[in-house]
Amino acid sequence: MTRDILILCAAGMLVSAFLTVGQKALFTTIRLYAGQSLLLAIAAIAMAVSEGRQHLYVMAALTIALKAILIPWFLMRVIDRIGIHREIEPFLNVPASLLICLGLTVIGYRVSTGFPEGAEGVTHHLLGVALSMLLIGLFLMVTRKKAVTQILALLTVENAVFLVALAVTTGMPLGVELGIAFDVMMAVVVLGVLVHRIVDRFESMDVSRLSNLKG
Amino acid sequence: MNSDVLQAAGMAVLQVAGMLALAPLLKGAIKKAKAVLQTRQGPPLLQGYYDLAKLLRKEPVRSQTASWVYVAGPRMYFAAAVAATTLVPVLVAAAPLEAAGGILLLVGTLALGRFALAAAALDTGSPFGGMGSSREMTIAALAEPALMLGLFASALAAGTLNLGGLVRGVLAQGPAFHPSDLLAFAGLFIIVIAETGRIPVDNPATHLELTMIHEAMVLEYAGPDLALVEWASAVKELLYLTLLADLFLPIGIATTVAPGAMLVAFGAWCAKILVLAIGVTLVESTNAKLRLFRVPELVASSLGLGFMALAIRFL
Repeated sequence: MTRDILILCAAGMLVSAFLTVGQKALFTTIRLYAGQSLLLAIAAIAMAVSEGRQHLYVMAALTIALKAILIPWFLMRVIDRIGIHREIEPFLNVPASLLICLGLTVIGYRVSTGFPEGAEGVTHHLLGVALSMLLIGLFLMVTRKKAVTQILALLTVENAVFLVALAVTTGMPLGVELGIAFDVMMAVVVLGVLVHRIVDRFESMDVSRLSNLKG
Repeated sequence: MNSDVLQAAGMAVLQVAGMLALAPLLKGAIKKAKAVLQTRQGPPLLQGYYDLAKLLRKEPVRSQTASWVYVAGPRMYFAAAVAATTLVPVLVAAAPLEAAGGILLLVGTLALGRFALAAAALDTGSPFGGMGSSREMTIAALAEPALMLGLFASALAAGTLNLGGLVRGVLAQGPAFHPSDLLAFAGLFIIVIAETGRIPVDNPATHLELTMIHEAMVLEYAGPDLALVEWASAVKELLYLTLLADLFLPIGIATTVAPGAMLVAFGAWCAKILVLAIGVTLVESTNAKLRLFRVPELVASSLGLGFMALAIRFL
């Protein structure tokens, strides 16, 4: 039962990461991220029940509150404020990005078999999905121009790292996880402010304009 | 031997009759659920039947330039949809005519129906028909490989291309879940949305010339011809949802034709279709229709998901 829930959640997270690559509407990508975080929380709860680790409940609650509700709400508010709703032109068009992400998934899955824990069973799938998501997140961060999408990519990477931790260690100590959670929250808040500043200065969320000289 | 053939034929007739009878109800249920989400009253649940009855009573009006292709189109489309229903297990874990073929025959039959309708829409030479067929074919050309990939991903797990055998394989395997199942499901769900003309791809509720795809194709049909097209589309939608339920959640499906097991299977089937229909409704209500040129991107993600599902099986 736990095994099925874990695999279901992990696969769902991979699907949401993959769909994010194919999406240009920012609201939808934020919703996909919220769904992904929710799945992560469910996976954490399943792990907590089966392994009897109390602090994972705290982590799951924190994940839902922060990553499934608060951060998406905050990002949606940022988008509403600045009124930019779409990723107009990523550096790579959608079909090419999808193809590359396919390749990245295969690589992530293949690499996961190299870990001593990742050769078989649930851990194999969790690690494979997590590594794939990590690569997809990095890819998104490199190829998207909008600052908000880059924040979402960073958050996807963070979710992937959490999933790796869940798969390999059945949950890190509470202190470490609390630290990461608040770190992420602060990062999003700071980046949100940064997005406002970028839009103020350049009248666009396009980070590639940051490399142009102003004078 | 002879009684086997008879039994298969009887099962096929029963299944086709059941699917034909229930398909308009599914359309009505989706419409009703959509209306509830929009806090409207919506048409009555049985509106689909009233519409069909009305259309079937009318006299067919055909353009003077129409040839036999135009007349044959809806009939072929309807026949293909009916034939396809005999290849899919609905209540029993065996398709009535599964000896005839499996996944490839199913995809081929549906493609044949689509081709007949597209050819018929071109026949009268009206611009709407041509535009509709061109669009429908553009999407179909992309959706078909994705559909095949998704189906193959599940076929790979069961080791057979036969849909009945596939369901039995999944049942025998027990609830051992693999991530590729969910990936294939997500890919196929997008395809179902695209093939049944639901909102991110096509809007079934409007006849706005800029956006319509399926409706543009059948714009010229009237009376019984139109009834056949609408009915076949409804059957196709029910068929796709049944396929999803069969492949990914075959719990409750009957393994024998005992009355008790069949009753349980019917309840389970209704519940599964209802859940999937609610999913379709939610997608329809929360998304805006995509521009036509963005549709290939959506279908490409479904293709990617199908391919990923296949690849993960091997890793």
